[in-house]
Amino acid sequence: MRARARRWHQGWLRRRIPPARSLRLDHRRIFILPSRAGMAFLLLLLIMLIGAINYQNSLVYGLTFTLLSLFWVALHHTYRNLAAVQLRATGGRAVFAGEQVPLGLTLRSERREHQALKLRWPGLDAVSVDVPAGDEQALTLFHPTERRGWLVLERLRIETRYPLGWFVAWSLVDLDWQVLVYPKPVSAPLPVGAAPDGEEGDQPHAQQEGVADFQGLRAYRPGDSRRRLDWRAWSRGQGLHSKVFAEPQQQSLWLDLAAAAGRDLEECLGMLTGWVLEMEREQRPYGLSLPGVRIEPAQGDRHREVCLRALALYGLEARA
Amino acid sequence: MSTALIPRNALAWLLGAQVVVLLPHLPRLPWWVAVLWLGCAAWRVQIQRMRWGYPGRILRAGGLLLTGVAVFVTQGTLIGLDATVMLLLLLFMLKLLEMRNPRDALVVIYLGFFILATAFLFDQGIPLTLYQCVGAVVLVAALIGLQQSPARNDPWRALRSAAAMLLQALPLMLLMFLFFPRLAPLWTINLPSAESRTGLSDTMAPADIANLAQSPELAFRASFEGDIPPPSRLYWRAMTLSRFDGRVWSQDRLLEGRQPQAVERSGAALEYQVVAQPTGRNWLYSLPGSVSDSPELRAMGDDTLRAKRPLSSTFGYTATAYEHVQRQRDGLPDDERQRLLQLPEDSDPRSRAWAEELRQRYSSDAELVNALLRHFNQQPYHYTLRPPTLGRHSNDEFLFDTRRGFCEHYAGAMTFVLRAAGIPARVVTGYQGGELNPRGGYLLVHQFDAHAWIEAWLPGQGWQSFDPTFQVAPSRIERGLEEAMREEGSFLADAPLAGSRYRDISWVNNLRLTWDDINYQWQLRVLNFQSEEQLALFKRWLGTADWRRIGVVVLSLVGLVMVVQALIWLRPRRLSGSPAQLAWQRLDQRLGKLGLGVRAGEGPRDWQARLRQALPQQRAAIDGFFDRFIEQSYAQRQPGEAQAQLQPSLQTLLRSLPRRRPPAPSQALD
Repeated sequence: MRARARRWHQGWLRRRIPPARSLRLDHRRIFILPSRAGMAFLLLLLIMLIGAINYQNSLVYGLTFTLLSLFWVALHHTYRNLAAVQLRATGGRAVFAGEQVPLGLTLRSERREHQALKLRWPGLDAVSVDVPAGDEQALTLFHPTERRGWLVLERLRIETRYPLGWFVAWSLVDLDWQVLVYPKPVSAPLPVGAAPDGEEGDQPHAQQEGVADFQGLRAYRPGDSRRRLDWRAWSRGQGLHSKVFAEPQQQSLWLDLAAAAGRDLEECLGMLTGWVLEMEREQRPYGLSLPGVRIEPAQGDRHREVCLRALALYGLEARA
Repeated sequence: MSTALIPRNALAWLLGAQVVVLLPHLPRLPWWVAVLWLGCAAWRVQIQRMRWGYPGRILRAGGLLLTGVAVFVTQGTLIGLDATVMLLLLLFMLKLLEMRNPRDALVVIYLGFFILATAFLFDQGIPLTLYQCVGAVVLVAALIGLQQSPARNDPWRALRSAAAMLLQALPLMLLMFLFFPRLAPLWTINLPSAESRTGLSDTMAPADIANLAQSPELAFRASFEGDIPPPSRLYWRAMTLSRFDGRVWSQDRLLEGRQPQAVERSGAALEYQVVAQPTGRNWLYSLPGSVSDSPELRAMGDDTLRAKRPLSSTFGYTATAYEHVQRQRDGLPDDERQRLLQLPEDSDPRSRAWAEELRQRYSSDAELVNALLRHFNQQPYHYTLRPPTLGRHSNDEFLFDTRRGFCEHYAGAMTFVLRAAGIPARVVTGYQGGELNPRGGYLLVHQFDAHAWIEAWLPGQGWQSFDPTFQVAPSRIERGLEEAMREEGSFLADAPLAGSRYRDISWVNNLRLTWDDINYQWQLRVLNFQSEEQLALFKRWLGTADWRRIGVVVLSLVGLVMVVQALIWLRPRRLSGSPAQLAWQRLDQRLGKLGLGVRAGEGPRDWQARLRQALPQQRAAIDGFFDRFIEQSYAQRQPGEAQAQLQPSLQTLLRSLPRRRPPAPSQALD
């Protein structure tokens, strides 16, 4: 029953405040209710009103009505403190599971200053921010990650009780942050069977001294490892070039899911992740083989990303 | 929230608010209360500066216990309004020391609002009311400080916002004040004890009223429907004194307690309104034979009016007096007659002998009374604020030896002689005359207008009033005490600062009367605005006293104010910027609903391309708008000319847009 109500609520929110990279808070997106402090204040006013009636005291009546009227004024001020704020999602990069993902958010004020806006995901600490009048305020929110795959963020709650704390105005926004979470790396020895020639000890050495395999230069392409850039040529003003090495077939390593000896799939993927990082650190070419996925051996930032992405999404539905 | 610290701004304003809120109460409290507050505030500041810690549990419990004891010792009780307010004030201070988080601070602020209200139970003057506005602003500023981000450090801004919000609250407050139905008290309550004030007492001994006549304080104000009667008619009765113990005249509860009897009223009606200053007693001031339909007061058997509750604050009432009033013309009940002839056996033998002599000379009561008045008029009696002290037989000494006295001497002696001669008589105390405030057209009656005169019951005429003082000093009745005392120079001799002394300096007098007029209007229109006045207002404005119709009118008025305010506050923000920017924003808003709003970092060409893709049927309109837009934004054309073309193209595009988002085109982005 509760789950159904929750689902209905989520659906209703999705229709009312559809996910968007940027949005402006307005009356359709802002909810407002008296806070507990506000309810307590109303109780106080009731007691004061009874006092005014019993003592037939005009000035106590006057004070009570002033404060009641102030309550009404506070409703609008609280609403206006949140209204017309423009939110814009910026960035959000991939992290490994267990890390905090940084999410960029820019709040913009059209005209008025917006004070003490609190941003928070359910169960997480709130971040308080002031937005200066007619200006922007950029901030980075952090959200913990638990498992690999596309991080599905709950709606971000942006609320304010300013100025008097008697009302809480809030909105629940989905800023459509797309964050890929890679599996949490698990350190494990590289698969022995896959090591070529069984001479692991010489491997890094051979790699670093692989000058013999140097084939020439080609124009830089995004994704090429920085270590292979020909800085000397670049400093001569000949443009950015990458050194091309002959890919020694016997030295490329296949990272295969079958070779990972974890307790379950997640741990195996974690091991593969660890291996990918290890291979990158050692600048050795590697291929990735998962059931239904085959990534030819290569090396470099782009290759690393492709592999990690495959590992993150393996067996999961890709996000639309 | 509960673990958060109290922001600096909030604490600053909170301490400020405590000073402002406590100050009006301090004069009524022992001196150590102020010292205690200073101690608590200093401690709290040290806590904030992380120098000192919070007091421990034992200290807090001890403080609470001591507070209770202190209140009991100073007030003699723990219940009752004075004790409750004092307890509240002490808790308000002590709470500072256990204020850890914003929630505690909220409790202190709410207590502050409550204490703000209690001050009005003790004083309702204009100065205090204005002062309390400051208190309200500071309390609201503390509330704002509590909500501000902790890092903010601009306390004046909080104060400005607080003042602005309170001003915005005024229209609705006025409506509620005027129209909220004034209900009768829900249960009986104890009123604040009146401080000892100068004023009439319920007994009268020689020199009592002469002392009172040194006081420039206000007793009450009165206004009339129509002309103000001449001073000789302005005998304001407060009470009658029928018991005499040889020295002091006092009230006879039995005679007052009776129902008013056999009063015949005729002639022109004179409606008047009185606003009495608080006395802590319940007597009121009325002209002879007055009737009142106010439910808050009742008529007594001796033709005076009493309030049902002691006056702890200003009290207003209306009454009607008549030109001709005859009271108990057909006779007095025997027991009443006996009580009105009562005299102590062994006092004033010379006066008794004189009374018997007069009785033998005049068989008619009326002639005897006139003979007495003539006696005061013709013999060398002297009217003075500095009468000599009198011994055991005060009437004898006054009548035959000193012959110098104030009104109470004349009234007491005359009543004594009449009673000794067998004529029922009593002393009446109250006020006589009053000062006209020409600005407001009302009378100011001061304590120095206090007066005593007599009433005698004459066969065939009933009760008749006589004023022996008039025989001695007619100027006292016709032109007031100052005139009567001009020769003696004793008017307000003990009160050098009293405004009434400086009537001769016209600008001082003007200032005094203007200020008094403001005060009187305040009392009439604000303090005295209770159910009667409210109903009268409804009748005048709405022509009805039917609560249902009033309700409809009131609710629609309140609703109207609320709607107007809401429209002002919530009106859609006007977008700012150049015409091109405005057009861009409008398009963005409209397309945002279709999920096609401009993306972060997207330029006009990119957006245009994306829109062409998503809305193939509107391509012409899209191109039309974007071409104009780019022309205006980037080609330096005359603004007016470009705008003339931009607006229609925007309208065309907006009109052509579909209501719902079109299905995404199958092909991917190019």
